[in-house]
Amino acid sequence: MKDVSFEIQRGDVFGLLGPNGAGKTTTLRMIGGLILPTGGHVTIDGTRIDRANADAIRRRIGFLTETPGLWDHLTVTANLSTYAKLFGVTQHVEATERMLRRFDLWDRRADRAATLSKGMKQKLALARALVHDPEIVLLDEPTANLDPQTARGVRDLVGELSGRGRAVIVSTHNLDEIERIATRVALVSTSLIAIGEPKALRRSVFGRRLRVTLAPTGSSVSDLAAVAARQGATDVTTDGNALTMRLDDPDTQVPTIVAALVGAGAAIRSAHDEEQSLEEVYIRLLAERTPS
Amino acid sequence: MRARIAALMGKEFAEFRASPSAILPVIIVVLVTLTIPFIVLVAIPAMTGENIADDAAIGKAIELAVKYMPALGGLSREAAAEAFLFQQFLLLFLLAPIVGAVSLAAYSVVGEKQGRTLEPLLTTPMTTAEILIAKVLASFAPALAVEVIGVVAYLLLMSIFAEPGVLGAVLGMRTAILLGLIGPLGALVALQATIAVSSRVNDARSAQQIAVLIVLPLVAMVVGQVAGAFILTTVILAGVALVLAILWLLLLLLSVALFDRETILTRWR
Repeated sequence: MKDVSFEIQRGDVFGLLGPNGAGKTTTLRMIGGLILPTGGHVTIDGTRIDRANADAIRRRIGFLTETPGLWDHLTVTANLSTYAKLFGVTQHVEATERMLRRFDLWDRRADRAATLSKGMKQKLALARALVHDPEIVLLDEPTANLDPQTARGVRDLVGELSGRGRAVIVSTHNLDEIERIATRVALVSTSLIAIGEPKALRRSVFGRRLRVTLAPTGSSVSDLAAVAARQGATDVTTDGNALTMRLDDPDTQVPTIVAALVGAGAAIRSAHDEEQSLEEVYIRLLAERTPS
Repeated sequence: MRARIAALMGKEFAEFRASPSAILPVIIVVLVTLTIPFIVLVAIPAMTGENIADDAAIGKAIELAVKYMPALGGLSREAAAEAFLFQQFLLLFLLAPIVGAVSLAAYSVVGEKQGRTLEPLLTTPMTTAEILIAKVLASFAPALAVEVIGVVAYLLLMSIFAEPGVLGAVLGMRTAILLGLIGPLGALVALQATIAVSSRVNDARSAQQIAVLIVLPLVAMVVGQVAGAFILTTVILAGVALVLAILWLLLLLLSVALFDRETILTRWR
């Protein structure tokens, strides 16, 4: 990793996006004090993580690793209570019970971890990452291989953590999910490519786009595209009976363009801002970075 | 620090309980060590009618040993031979915790790597030294417990089957140093070396091989004494114990230096 710099506040849900091998997990490991950067630094509340304080810093961090990494021969309770003790939780019995109930694992507490389903294992790994009530939560692919219901539970949990002032960093390939939960995202590919709120990133890449859906009339869609272009729209594309275009000043341009299209014989069914998905943003940014 | 080490040791013990077969090598070695001396020194002479004390090599070794084990001088030739040999076989008990515990230790780090449970463990505030000490002690404790049970059984059987006076001659400062210091320290050295290697490899067998380096000098001690080549006096044994203690501390420092978190996290995937 190089040239990566960002700051995260309490209550932020920060999405770390990037292709395989981009360095997302490495970034999380550096923030989590598992490995130290060979150059640059990670600072938490003004304290720079170094060899001398990394062990103590880790007490403040909850890290969900990419694989659950449970001790299969141990019971669900033993898996969790061992970590509670390792993190120095004084009321470890109560903390263990609280987390098992929170993650609906109480009824399985005496079962070996090996007997749990994938979703339950992931829940137990999440409980383990949170058993010491960390200030910073690092989640590496938290919903990978989870069914939709469990994945929703994880998203709700992230929201709850954010609401309680925890800083949450989520590394994921699931762009739809991160778009729903993240307040800010960073796209990395061994270095930082882009960072910002999903909406702002979308605008910076695609600008504001207008989508006009037309009812079939005598006017051809391509002729109407030319009309829009004459009114100042750029990057006008057609898609069946729809036109999409980029506008520099939508507030003044939209009424003019709509009027011009109607004047040219168009029957307009709808006109609204077109929201590009975060996936489109991601693909565009990575494509711009990849040499052709 | 102690609470974290205890917590990780507790987890290791729970894993041993969940897979009791893991402790089987220790039990087998102790049972063999317990049985062989009585077969050689009691059962075979009783069946064949031959006296071990008549063996020229043994006689020579006992002559040498009397200087350092005065208690042998007050025994009959037969009892002195038994006492001398029972004490030599006692050295085998030093090997039991090493051979048995090493298999536990070798797997304890490699197993975490293979099961991908090491990364979550590294997210905790545990220092590298704490992790390694917990791993070594968790392997050491059950092996030591089995060894203690074995030694007690050995002494009990000796009091029943050996010639009168043999048990008293065997019990002494040399035996105390052997069992109380050299045995446990030798085991710790072997375990620490195994753990050091196991943090650099991904195969428990590779890690176990290092234990041979510790076992061989101990076997040489047994053979050398039985052959009458030398006698390890109390002072020499105390010196060996000191060397082992220093070696263990050096190996602990080496283990911590070799335990490269970044390499472990990035290579063992």
